Amino acid sequence: MSTTRHQDAAIGLLDLEDGPASRTGDGRLPEPRALYNQWEKQQWSIARLEVSRDRPQWATLRPVARRELLTALNELEVGEVFVSRTLSALLEHAPSDADRLFLSTQVADEARHAQFFQDYLHEAAGLEETVSEAERQQEDSVYARIFAPTLRASLEQVTATAGDPDPWHTAVVEYHLVSEGILAATALHQTRRIARRFDLPALEEGLGNVIRDESRHLTYGLAATRRAVEGSLRARIAAVYLAGVEAAARISVNPYRRALTPVMRPALVQQRALLAAQWDLTRRRALRQLRFIGLSDLAGDTEQAWDRGLETALAEYAGLWGTAHPVTAL
Amino acid sequence: MTANTADQTETGARVREVVGSLVPGGAREVESTDRLTDLGFDSLATLELALALETEFDLQEVPEGQAVEMATVADIEALVLAMAGAPAASGA
Repeated sequence: MSTTRHQDAAIGLLDLEDGPASRTGDGRLPEPRALYNQWEKQQWSIARLEVSRDRPQWATLRPVARRELLTALNELEVGEVFVSRTLSALLEHAPSDADRLFLSTQVADEARHAQFFQDYLHEAAGLEETVSEAERQQEDSVYARIFAPTLRASLEQVTATAGDPDPWHTAVVEYHLVSEGILAATALHQTRRIARRFDLPALEEGLGNVIRDESRHLTYGLAATRRAVEGSLRARIAAVYLAGVEAAARISVNPYRRALTPVMRPALVQQRALLAAQWDLTRRRALRQLRFIGLSDLAGDTEQAWDRGLETALAEYAGLWGTAHPVTAL
Repeated sequence: MTANTADQTETGARVREVVGSLVPGGAREVESTDRLTDLGFDSLATLELALALETEFDLQEVPEGQAVEMATVADIEALVLAMAGAPAASGA
């Protein structure tokens, strides 16, 4: 049984779209050096993607498809910009040189992702970005509103304690497992499916590259978190993860954005089923990660945290918009 | 042909026109018997279609007990006629 095979399987975690993971979370996740080696082999450039080749197709998109794509790309762009601006605190206080070297590659990746989404929105989708537009996108982002403040506070603790393991691993859970493993992974796969559906080859290829990068980052986060769980931080990691799952459920619902709610009942039923299926995929990602970090016994608590997040967000939606969310409208 | 029947016929034709204009992969003429899935409508395209029909026919109410099916173009014609307050033409 080769180590390489296990490492390759783990590196492909984010590629699993549906169904429970077939891999076993037995601690044989790759070391930072193996992930660094993968990074060297998996380089890509925005210039070679030629994002502007998608522009003619954007002109043919109908309003719903355009709205869904722009919302997804905006969320991804805001998330990448946030990470690229803040990840350095983790890098600076990494526990070892190997961790520091890998996190350096991640910082470079995140910068490329942010640039990719910005270039794509400008050159393919045709958005004319201004300072006020960028600020508006930030304000509109559900991730920026619900989870970024939590992560920012954790990073301040990392800096204030100069790398104390407790806040450092807290931030890793929030960055790698929640932001990337649960939220970004779902959004990236879903957006890539839409890109394929509407024949947007530059977007599909670019998202494929981003997914591959994020898969390495997630694998690093899983391995680091597993070490913390096996050490003295099990209770702390469990609490942070459950809070992150609850926030992820709220972000999935996004109470701040009015959901499309067709008045034709059959279309409404279909819309409800579609949203419920998307949320379920996100929930399953949250559950799947537990095996890899040695917290399989937390499945029931994770389900409850997810349900709490959904209930909170759906109530918030009804309060904000004065009507039930389409998922609960019938 | 009575005025009511003429309205229903015209509505059915307009529905088919809207459906045909939104066929994924390119606009085409559609028949009442065509199935949406055969025409290439997936969930996103169906949502797009429903919202376009709402705008085109100013549909605002959700009738109680409305059939939960939108499988064929005829289903949509019947739905729009029901929501617009007119009885569906038989054999639509």
